[in-house]
Amino acid sequence: MKQTPYFFILPSILILAFTSLYPICYSIYYSFFNWRWGNEKDFIGLSNYIILLTDKKFWIIIKNTFVFAFFACLIEITIGVFLAIYIDRIKYGSTIIRTLLLIPLMVSGISVTMLFKVILDNMFGIIPYFLSFIGIKSNFFGSYDAALPTIIGLDVWWQTSFVFIIILAGFQSIPSEPIEAAKMDGATEWEVTRYIRLPMIRSLLFLVLIFRSIDTLKVFDIIWGTTGGGPGLATEALQTYAYRVAYSFLEMSKSMTVMVLFSVVVIFLTVIYSKFNKDI
Amino acid sequence: MNKLSKYKHLITAYIVSFIAIAVTILPITWLFLLSIKSKGETFTKPPKWVFDPTIQNYIDLWDNDLFKDTFVNSFFITLISITLSIIIAIFAAYALKRYQIRFKTAFMQWLLLAYMLPEFLFVLPMFAIYQSIGIYDTYIGMALIYQVHVLPFSIWMLRSFLEEIPKEIDDAAYLDGCNPFQAIYKIYLPLIIPGIVATAILNGIWVWNELAIALGLTFFDAQPITVGVASFRGYASINWGGMTGSAIVSMIPMILFVTFAQKHIVKGLTLGSVKG
Repeated sequence: MKQTPYFFILPSILILAFTSLYPICYSIYYSFFNWRWGNEKDFIGLSNYIILLTDKKFWIIIKNTFVFAFFACLIEITIGVFLAIYIDRIKYGSTIIRTLLLIPLMVSGISVTMLFKVILDNMFGIIPYFLSFIGIKSNFFGSYDAALPTIIGLDVWWQTSFVFIIILAGFQSIPSEPIEAAKMDGATEWEVTRYIRLPMIRSLLFLVLIFRSIDTLKVFDIIWGTTGGGPGLATEALQTYAYRVAYSFLEMSKSMTVMVLFSVVVIFLTVIYSKFNKDI
Repeated sequence: MNKLSKYKHLITAYIVSFIAIAVTILPITWLFLLSIKSKGETFTKPPKWVFDPTIQNYIDLWDNDLFKDTFVNSFFITLISITLSIIIAIFAAYALKRYQIRFKTAFMQWLLLAYMLPEFLFVLPMFAIYQSIGIYDTYIGMALIYQVHVLPFSIWMLRSFLEEIPKEIDDAAYLDGCNPFQAIYKIYLPLIIPGIVATAILNGIWVWNELAIALGLTFFDAQPITVGVASFRGYASINWGGMTGSAIVSMIPMILFVTFAQKHIVKGLTLGSVKG
């Protein structure tokens, strides 16, 4: 039967249409209204977009989100690649090392939140306690300057092993001949890594970069659970802001406008990725 | 000389991995130690290194019906989500492998896009429609919206596992008169069981750990464990025992999973583009 494959694929299409196309269309539609949970829904054109995009606060939030994503990606990819370079050399015990390093990735964002709230608590935390010995009075989540770097630190602890585990797998799939040959010619370990290993896993590095950047831009759990966006606007990101707009300010349409604008960025990054990766 | 430098490299490698493991494991160990300290000893200064362990915090959690319910809810939501996604995905993955489908590339791109969309985008539209069709705050509603993430992932994974099966096997099945259903059920299913398990575990981890959608689409009956853990984060009076204990309880099943799925996790994390 010629239609068979379409019958097989139809349930997936229906479910994906309901769970992805419908929310997008719904959000775009109601972003032109002034719906605030009640029955009153008036068409207000582009007002929500204009209000948001001319709001200084909104730009601070965009800046926060991108600063968070940039530094979290940079640190995670740097540490992850270095870890992979070192641990690639290990033959004995590499499975147990990999398993232990994978643990943070399996933990929920809200548990990471609880973990670091306990450890970094100003009054009772173990790290502020140790810091007090060297005369540092720390305030990790409460101070305007430290809050965002602290949350970047949480994300680094949580997600670095994603980079590490993928890059390591990439290194281990490289054939050994070119590396042996380079070593015969007198290349040092670092030269081999710099000129052979890293170039050979270019496409994986790109995959990691796109996945991590989208994921960090979407940050929600670890901000909502720790600072809730504060102090002030210091750690407010796009998704936590959309949450706050919908549930604290009760402006549903405005919240959906935020998500529409944000989705455009995510879609843009995804399209770039699929353009470069022909497998998809 | 060469040998010496090789050992030097190896020793550095072990030192680096030791530090990485310490940074990874120490915070969790500390959290666990706090969770088995009694109320008075939790935050003494200096910290008490020697203490009588108590499981009082865990008993309190067990007696806390609200928290126990969230654990049960998460279990069922996870189970329904992964079962649904595997059943639907296996047919789609089979169709993508076996047949020439028009708009195949577009479909695959749509999968990636759905997988990547930000969580909060779904919350308000789904809230509205769930309210009107009556599946707000239910297991089914939660499992349904989670498909937006787990279904693309499942199709991806199962397809990459199916691609590894030689086409000859498939042709042989047809010559023997199998229809597509029989081919899937009798030939492919047994061959990709490891793939199905890996997919289910990775999806399970994601569903179990999801918070943003759950906050918006559950109120009481279907509240998952992430919301349960979050309920201990109160600002006014902090229940340290509840915080530490509930975080540990929510971590345990996932940490157990890592040990089982370790082999397939790499493949899963890269949507099949790297062999694990």
